[in-house]
Amino acid sequence: MGASYLAVGWNRQKKIYDWLMFAFCVSYLAAFIVLTAIFNPEYTFETTLIRSTSTLALILLHVILSIGPLTRINNKFLPLLYNRRHIGVTMFCIVLVHGVFSILQFHSLGNVNPFVSLFTSNTHYDSLADFPFQSLGFFALIIFFLMAITSHDFWLHNLSPKVWKTLHMFVYLAYFLVVMHVMLGVIQYETNPVFIIIIAVGATTLITLHLIAGAREVRKDNIEYKLKQNGYVRVCDVNNILEDRAKMFCIENERIAVFKTAGKLFAISNVCKHQNGPLGEGRVLDGCITCPWHGYQYLPHNGQSPPPFKEKVATYDVKLVDNDVWVNPLPYPEGTERPGAVINIQNRKLETESVKGEERAS
Amino acid sequence: MIKPLRKRHLQIWTAWAVLIPIGIISAILVRPELPQDKLLQPAATVALPIILKSLNKESYTINIRSNSDTSQLQLEWINKKTLTYPTATIYQNTANTNNIADAVLIGRIEARGTYHFELKKNSDNNYHFILYDFIHQKTIDSITF
Repeated sequence: MGASYLAVGWNRQKKIYDWLMFAFCVSYLAAFIVLTAIFNPEYTFETTLIRSTSTLALILLHVILSIGPLTRINNKFLPLLYNRRHIGVTMFCIVLVHGVFSILQFHSLGNVNPFVSLFTSNTHYDSLADFPFQSLGFFALIIFFLMAITSHDFWLHNLSPKVWKTLHMFVYLAYFLVVMHVMLGVIQYETNPVFIIIIAVGATTLITLHLIAGAREVRKDNIEYKLKQNGYVRVCDVNNILEDRAKMFCIENERIAVFKTAGKLFAISNVCKHQNGPLGEGRVLDGCITCPWHGYQYLPHNGQSPPPFKEKVATYDVKLVDNDVWVNPLPYPEGTERPGAVINIQNRKLETESVKGEERAS
Repeated sequence: MIKPLRKRHLQIWTAWAVLIPIGIISAILVRPELPQDKLLQPAATVALPIILKSLNKESYTINIRSNSDTSQLQLEWINKKTLTYPTATIYQNTANTNNIADAVLIGRIEARGTYHFELKKNSDNNYHFILYDFIHQKTIDSITF
């Protein structure tokens, strides 16, 4: 979280992340070039560079697209999410090298402008076998370019989160274009089946992960809360919520996170203002609800970020009746202070026993 | 993630679960028939000892080589200058036309290097080859022996 925009807010974790990624990319490219020189010495350096950057970018794209669903399925993958945009920008740089060298190799040796040649040398859009696959790759590159140049939080705020997110959802279209670029391009002339296997395994893995994660989220959203009274909905037992943690409930339109901290219950919107991270999966640190994705913080009693930060989330009324937690799903305007529900001593005693029981069980 | 975005993600990936396999399978089904050998012959392939026919052009030399009893034939392609077409394919057309639809794919070459491809013997001893740019979908040159 930063009060002003920096190019990159470096910290130790980011540096480790980026160094590991850099080391992987360099090692991969070096190994590819060396192995090609040994096993396929007839390939020119340009061809080797085009192929090495294309395969590396494809691997990185699969990693990037798998991080989201993996974090939904298992929180242990969260560290990969923190700096996912760094992998994205790196992937774009590698794809750019691939694109530039491909255009130089295949379209710049004639007397036609390379970009004109790219689109006019093959116009068989009605044929699958002869489809101008290079234009598919070009459009995917444009999408990656737009995503890379708007990857910074500055653009998130200035484009508005809705526009920014819509733009970045185009990564899925870019993935489809890349798959078809490979299948209608190099696969048509490459006898080695390893390329088909890589694409097929990669696509199958991504589709499976996304469908599993999506199905889980839909199940959570569809849980019905049948006990309702005076506008309140009974959501859970107070002892089910751990100290300084939350439980999330999807009531009516959106998820609400109910936090237990400092002897009280507070209910706020589950959606972080930064990039819609799940606040309910975070914890209370130094009195602030902390988003697990990028560390944005909010005060539990009013949903406001601590000064000098200005983010705010909606708050809700919550009450405790015996041990039952009731939430009013009607949101207050963002940043509205609400008193929360005091957890009395009897509830705390029961909570202590319940927590001990959970610890024994774990 | 907000609820509408969760829904949108699931819709997109449900669509990709159908479209991507269709795209992959379709692309595999329309692959041209390729020779069993690798298209790009390794440079270590030994040239057969006897040159039966030879043709010299400005950018390349083409030889038809054989072994001592001419039971095996080989097409040798030597790039003398860097080709302006970085990747090209060689087809053999027994009908002596430049129509690659009727031709047999011999192999693929790049802008530089020397290549050797196995060649089947023609009964009339005439050979017609087409150098074809598959990226731009046009015939670069034709060679007749």
